[in-house]
Amino acid sequence: MPQLGKQSNQMAINQVQPKTSSKSTLSLKKQKGTLSLLLFVLPAFIFYFVFLLIPTVGAGFYSFTDWNALSQTFHFVGFSNYIEAFKDDPDFRHSFFFTLKYTAFMFVFQNVIALLLALFIETRVRTKGFFRTIFFMPNMLSLIISALMFSFIFSNVLPELSKKAIFHLLDQPWIGDAKVSFYSILIVSLWHGIGYMMVIYMAALQGVPSHLKEAAMIDGANPFQRLIHVTIPMIMHAITICAFLTLNGAFKVFDVVYALTAGGPGRSTQVMALNIYEEAFSNNFRYGYANAKAMILFLIVLVITLIQVKVLKKKEVEA
Amino acid sequence: MKKAISSVLSFMLGIGLLAGCSSNDTASSQNDTKASKQVELKVFIGQPRFKKQYETYFDQFVKKEKQDKNIDVKIKLELPNVNQASQLLKTRLASGDSPDIFSLHAINDIPLFNKAGYLEDLSKEPFADKLYDTVKPAVTTTDGKVVAVPLETLQWGYLYNKKIFSDLGLKIPQTMSEMKETVKVLKQHNITPFLLTYKDAYIPQLFLPLTVGGDVSTTTPDFIKSMNEGKGSFKDVKDLFNVMDLVNANGTKRAFENGQDQGASDFANGKAAMWVQGPWMADSIVSANKDFEFGVAPLPINDDPKATLLNLSTSTSLAVSKMSKNKAVAKDLINYILDDKDSSDFYKSLGFNAVSKVHTFEPFPWLKESSDYVSQGRAYQDPAIPSAVKDESQKLFQSYLAGDASKADVIKGLDRAWDQFNKNNK
Repeated sequence: MPQLGKQSNQMAINQVQPKTSSKSTLSLKKQKGTLSLLLFVLPAFIFYFVFLLIPTVGAGFYSFTDWNALSQTFHFVGFSNYIEAFKDDPDFRHSFFFTLKYTAFMFVFQNVIALLLALFIETRVRTKGFFRTIFFMPNMLSLIISALMFSFIFSNVLPELSKKAIFHLLDQPWIGDAKVSFYSILIVSLWHGIGYMMVIYMAALQGVPSHLKEAAMIDGANPFQRLIHVTIPMIMHAITICAFLTLNGAFKVFDVVYALTAGGPGRSTQVMALNIYEEAFSNNFRYGYANAKAMILFLIVLVITLIQVKVLKKKEVEA
Repeated sequence: MKKAISSVLSFMLGIGLLAGCSSNDTASSQNDTKASKQVELKVFIGQPRFKKQYETYFDQFVKKEKQDKNIDVKIKLELPNVNQASQLLKTRLASGDSPDIFSLHAINDIPLFNKAGYLEDLSKEPFADKLYDTVKPAVTTTDGKVVAVPLETLQWGYLYNKKIFSDLGLKIPQTMSEMKETVKVLKQHNITPFLLTYKDAYIPQLFLPLTVGGDVSTTTPDFIKSMNEGKGSFKDVKDLFNVMDLVNANGTKRAFENGQDQGASDFANGKAAMWVQGPWMADSIVSANKDFEFGVAPLPINDDPKATLLNLSTSTSLAVSKMSKNKAVAKDLINYILDDKDSSDFYKSLGFNAVSKVHTFEPFPWLKESSDYVSQGRAYQDPAIPSAVKDESQKLFQSYLAGDASKADVIKGLDRAWDQFNKNNK
């Protein structure tokens, strides 16, 4: 199974070291190897450090203050921002539960549908490339453009279509009603994201050794049992990755909601990222408080994904 | 061969990177051999659509300054996108790279910027005396200092379709009962009375200044003061929901799917007779239908005709930064904005209303009657509701109109928003 990550590179480099000579020259060669590794990574690391790590530390710093982006002075307020986010902010709580609901739906639907599509396409022989392309294409569009496009479809195209008798079901207030707009957001996110997961699953499925499947067939397993007991354990690493990506992305969702409903009507479809954005860039411009909420979001995503990766990693199986 | 191609390509890429660097515009500066003073002014205005007009006017200023005071002014004009302007300005101020002159929203931004100490006092400048009395309060802080020169001013209530009104012989309603009559007549003729466009959250929010302004001018004059002291409540604004409910009950369908752009085109095509909006949409409306005739009328909020008034508000204004190192020349530029000779043409080319006695051009056709109202004194200054409360009211009114929030919820939310504003801006 091709293993991703630095580990294999490390092993490959170490294997090239000459196995003769004394211990000191061996460790020197090892140091040289590590040094060249670091030098290769340095440019990307510098960008990562300057544009991701430093702002995160800065955000952590400002989360303990009451800065409002304009004053020339600010005060340290300790943990009061964090306490306020938990106790006095009903909008933040509502957005947390809404995001949770959205993540749960996305997690289930995106992975299940992507896996089914991948299984289906893998069985095709001639039309594989065609299907793969059309299902992956939505992912190539920028998410904001897709959301604006769907906004037009939901507000203009579908109402027009629903005027014909057959499509009467389409006569919903797609973006106007709190309950229906949840499904509108879900539809756009799924349309965009399924392609990406599908491609990962397809790559994993291609790595399932066929002799195992044939052995199971000979032993009398039906297709469904083959799926559960042979295929899925073999692609568990892909499931770990896809689950991680889905959870990570769904918790931080912003573009789709911003372009489609802007959190509306009122605050009914406001997700956490949108709530933080609104706190910082409108109303009282409370940058300090918004940073505290952003750190809370960061910690939530960190904890959930750590748990998820740990649980699924245990289930990974080698051929 | 390969090396040659790759080196040429990387050279081109490098040039491309450099070309993408700064793209600030500079007005012309005259290279004189006389010993003249060199001054560089950084001007920041969030209105990229008026680039030509500002450049022309600032060129005139540079010539005048050279003539009168022998100072070579180099103006670095920055016109960022409307949506990013506010953030960009705050970043500049926070990092110490303050522009000498910048634009800000008079009603929403002046209190905050003044409190943070970024606005220079311009009360003694000549332009301050040239302003109309109806406009001056908007650029004056609570401690009586004039801090900006107004550019965009507005008179608004709601827009009405002149053709529909004249066809049916309707007069502008002066009270709620007359408005209800008008609505009845329109419905009898199968015309939708009101255009509803709630997708853009600022549109439901327009009811807030309209109702508060009307009440503050008649029954509850101390409302703003008591709210700032933490003693009042939005319960005191008795007419907050009356006209909102009337409009909402007699309007177009699918209100939450339509925003200002769709609304402008619908209104211009006669889909409804009235639209609670302001003349800032005039451009979009006229471009949707060139021959469309509409007017601005005051919105009645109760049965007292004295409370049916127009809202006078000032939005974009230019201020001088307290951190500026070229205050004298900056103040000259600000004074030139209301220059006795050149200002009239300038404001006319921008499509702004007259703000001062030096302006001698005709108002727009849709503002003819509203200007009469203003000169009769039937108007009030846009109430000084904190912009945090206005932002919050966008969400609350949207929820109320969608049926997700009750009147009590809205009142509680607005009171809480004002309390938070007081707490965060002590």
